[in-house]
Amino acid sequence: MKQRYLLSGIGIATAIVLAGCSTTAPDSSGGGADSDATITIGSSYEPQNLDNTAGGGQGVSEALNGNVYEGLFTLTDKGEVVNGLASDFTKSDDGLTYTFTLQKDVKFHSGDPLTATDVKYSIDRVRAETSKSSRKSTFDNVKTIATPDDSTVVITLTSKSISLPYNLSYVWIMNDALKDPTTAEDGTGPYKLGTWKRGSSLSLERDADYWGTAAKNKEVVFTYFTDATALNNALLTNAVDIVTSVQSPDAIPQFENNADYKVNDGDSTTKEVLAYNDRVAPFNNVKVRQAISAAIDKKKLLTSVWGDYGTLIGSFVPPTDPWYEDLNSVNAYDPAKATALLADAGYPKGFEFTLDTPDYDPHPIVAEFLKSELAKVGITVTINTITADEWYTKVYQKLDFQATLQEHVNHRDIVFYGNPDFYWGYNNPKVTTLIDQSETSDTTDEQTAKLKEANEIIANDAASGWLYLYPQIVVAASNVTGYPLNGINSQFFAFNITKSA
Amino acid sequence: MTAVVALEAITTATRRRRSWTLVVGLVLFGLVLATAIVSLFWLPYDPADTAGSRLEPPSLAHWAGTDRLGRDLATQLMIGARIALAVGIGSVAIGAVIGITLGLVAAFAGRVLDDGVSAFLDILIAFPTLLLAMLIVAAQGASLWSAVLAIGLAMSAIIARLTRILAKRILALDYITASRTSGTGMWGIIWQHLLPNVWPTILVNLALQFGLSVIAEASLSYLGLGAPPPNSSWGRMLKEAEGTVLTAPIGAIAPGIAIVILVLGLNLIADGLRDIGDPLRRVSARAVPAPTTEGPR
Amino acid sequence: MTIYILRRLVVLVVSLVLASIVIFALLRLLPGDPANALLGVGATDAQISAARAQVGSDQSIWQQFGIFLRQLVTFDFGRSFISNLPIGPEITARLVVTLPLTLLSFVLAVIIAVPLGIIAATKSSRWYGATISAASQLGIAIPVFWVGILLISWLALSAHLLPSGGFPRDDWKDPAAALRSLTLPVLTIAIVMSASLLRYVRSATLDVLGSDYLRTFRSLGGSFSGTLVRHGLRNGAVPVIAILGIELATTFLGAVVVESVFTLPGLGSMLVLGISQHDYPAVQGVLFVSTLFVLLVGFGADIAQRLVDPRLRDTVSGNRP
Repeated sequence: MKQRYLLSGIGIATAIVLAGCSTTAPDSSGGGADSDATITIGSSYEPQNLDNTAGGGQGVSEALNGNVYEGLFTLTDKGEVVNGLASDFTKSDDGLTYTFTLQKDVKFHSGDPLTATDVKYSIDRVRAETSKSSRKSTFDNVKTIATPDDSTVVITLTSKSISLPYNLSYVWIMNDALKDPTTAEDGTGPYKLGTWKRGSSLSLERDADYWGTAAKNKEVVFTYFTDATALNNALLTNAVDIVTSVQSPDAIPQFENNADYKVNDGDSTTKEVLAYNDRVAPFNNVKVRQAISAAIDKKKLLTSVWGDYGTLIGSFVPPTDPWYEDLNSVNAYDPAKATALLADAGYPKGFEFTLDTPDYDPHPIVAEFLKSELAKVGITVTINTITADEWYTKVYQKLDFQATLQEHVNHRDIVFYGNPDFYWGYNNPKVTTLIDQSETSDTTDEQTAKLKEANEIIANDAASGWLYLYPQIVVAASNVTGYPLNGINSQFFAFNITKSA
Repeated sequence: MTAVVALEAITTATRRRRSWTLVVGLVLFGLVLATAIVSLFWLPYDPADTAGSRLEPPSLAHWAGTDRLGRDLATQLMIGARIALAVGIGSVAIGAVIGITLGLVAAFAGRVLDDGVSAFLDILIAFPTLLLAMLIVAAQGASLWSAVLAIGLAMSAIIARLTRILAKRILALDYITASRTSGTGMWGIIWQHLLPNVWPTILVNLALQFGLSVIAEASLSYLGLGAPPPNSSWGRMLKEAEGTVLTAPIGAIAPGIAIVILVLGLNLIADGLRDIGDPLRRVSARAVPAPTTEGPR
Repeated sequence: MTIYILRRLVVLVVSLVLASIVIFALLRLLPGDPANALLGVGATDAQISAARAQVGSDQSIWQQFGIFLRQLVTFDFGRSFISNLPIGPEITARLVVTLPLTLLSFVLAVIIAVPLGIIAATKSSRWYGATISAASQLGIAIPVFWVGILLISWLALSAHLLPSGGFPRDDWKDPAAALRSLTLPVLTIAIVMSASLLRYVRSATLDVLGSDYLRTFRSLGGSFSGTLVRHGLRNGAVPVIAILGIELATTFLGAVVVESVFTLPGLGSMLVLGISQHDYPAVQGVLFVSTLFVLLVGFGADIAQRLVDPRLRDTVSGNRP
């Protein structure tokens, strides 16, 4: 039933690590690893289709990013941007012209060679009028894409963009001869698409002709479960080797106390957000927002939803973003202060508001918790349960809401607060300026400093309520190693996974 | 001759056991009803109270343990009784009103309208309750009311068909024809002859449908199409406890038992009523008599 | 008889057409635009209209209906709004799971229910007869998904005897593996279904036992079981066939819940997914095929009843319970 919408991020890049080939997953060489193994991965996110510019959803990134398709750059599991299909690039002094050199001897799975025109075609696909890519707007400042020769791509910008390489890590390079990318693939990655059985599984097969280091396993099968319990049961009965992200802590004890399994607690980028409509009263009053922040015992909430897992971060920026800092002390839990702030704001007796709550976990539980917490300071919450579809229409498109709950999954998405037209309507010119300036920074240090400053202002303003950062829990059979732990942007690089007999 | 005696003994035994079933049925149903009534005035805990530790086994403080958020399960079970009864009563009311009206209209109407209604009912019945309910819930949005409406509408087709068949059968009897020719109006016929004769059978079926609607609601909730949280319907509780069936089995067992108690009670009541209403006729369990075995319409 | 079959066929076709119209209309009542499922947060107006054009929600309802009717006639169910894959082959692929699930459950339920039902009726004074009756009462009061949950926890998670869900990727290439995957779901359905079937069999048997002709035969000196088998079964079979038809159809559609419990990639899970994603072509396709199945079963049951009971042969009613 549940359907998630990926919240798009206007990414802002930092450290370009100029390593040759990407290595993301942790150490993999286990004793007796079988290089011809089939790895079965259990996931809740089946792709809707196979194209990440046509509403394929979170599952399409998970299965195909880095596995079947590669970009000019790769976003590693640690959140770093490294070279992918681009072997090198130069930036002009004015920062407006980027020249990319492509890796040599790269072939698509169909056998066609990778050329600059394929790259131009692929970037244009994302920028196209009909593209449904959430990344589309990040290329608004691209003026021209030129292909002087087969292995060189020149991108000219209208304004400086330090995060261009980061943004390009989201662009799949595909063969311009591929007809229908929603049902077929032609990428350059270490795997070819095997079979996709809708409603059940999608398999990837090692490409023997891969240009880089070949995958360490022969076949990867993503098996899809609409139900978290069924997913855990599959792991318990050895029907899958790995579960990409466990959605509730309840099932974890049965794996923790069992030598056959390993529970990994990684960093996610998914934030549970209490988003106010900052345009409307009383939420246009900063003191009201600060009061609500101070009225909620987030530690208790996190414990009741996730037990011992998850992190409190006090802002919208997760630890895997380069501009992260711990802001838990800003508007920290203090019911007395909350009451005082409310009185100060002109609501000594509190007020009432409706909380639009998506009907899938954990939002209904979180809503109940907020209701009882806020009742203690005199605020009455009416919970209005809506479907993901209604959320999209009512809250996101029509802005017809007072407050809502939503999980924001993306990496580097603080930039949403720089857009006054975004659904939560946070409008602070200083923040907008800082975020705009950060994008035209010359160095990553400058970019990081600007975004840190912006984030502190946003946190002080209590622009939204940042309840907690989801844990990223990967549970795997103990004979399996080399899988990614952090699940940044829902990617799940499978090529380093090995299984010992 | 001994064989005949034996057969009669079997029949008598069956009958005696059946009145016993009515008593057991009433006790089981009464148990659930009492729980629901008590829940209106008193609950062990606030249903939203997450003060307990998570997934506790049953104890003196929490008779049925706690759920994954530390909420008291006994409290939720009690509220669940209220929801199950509300769904049952609501959908039975909808099913009875629409179904009986439609059935009578078809029975009295001319051939064309009758055929039309019957064909339509056949199609509706071809969709099982759950499927129809899924579509309606999808259209209306998941809520308790949607579930009640959906189950009630699906049920009304079954009741309508039953009413029509029974009414036609009675209308064809000689004394009704006599009564009609002597000038009794349509309402008179319905009131004096039809309803009193049709009612016992309909009542039995409504009791059975009540039970089926409880199961249908539980299934809808299980599929995520029932009342959204925080309404702790039994089906929803089962869904939520499914993942902890090994570590905290009580949560995945107690709501199931509650459903069985209520539905079993209703089925036994239906059996008992059938016996009292019409001890000679034994209609098979899940209700509608098979029209194909009764010759042409 | 031939005339009956022909007329019954007409009824079948008319019902199918009516049902298709009902399906189409019901789906259009669903609020929300199917295009939404394709869009992410951040969609621009141009992206929204592109999505609407892709799913056809920019056309009038009559245009959509025209397309739908044309597809029905050609047995082409169109392409999924979401995956852009053709619906027909997907339905076929999922029938490979749902049909065996339905038929195996049905057969198992009949194997359990018929002998036990007859025993429950003929030996109702014995303890085992009474126990069977009581157990069947209990059986029809149990929600099928709960049986599934309990069986999974017991046979899959604790005992590690059978898979907890899913279906082999290569379907029936390895029949043993496919059968293992279906064992628990089939058991789940059969337990619940046999309980209600058993009650029909039992009451049909009781009817026959209490009937005048059976008494006559027996008073003329026929043996009890001999008479029962020779005459009783034939007469009792008529209502039971009608019920079997319904039960078979119900099982097929009831697979929605069971497929959900066991995450089987069948028609039921396709339907649930389709409804949640507003994937009209998928939902229409599944409902059409299901309705066809239900109507065909009804058709078969009616014919079978007439073959068994000559007295019914002159009647024309297309009605089934």
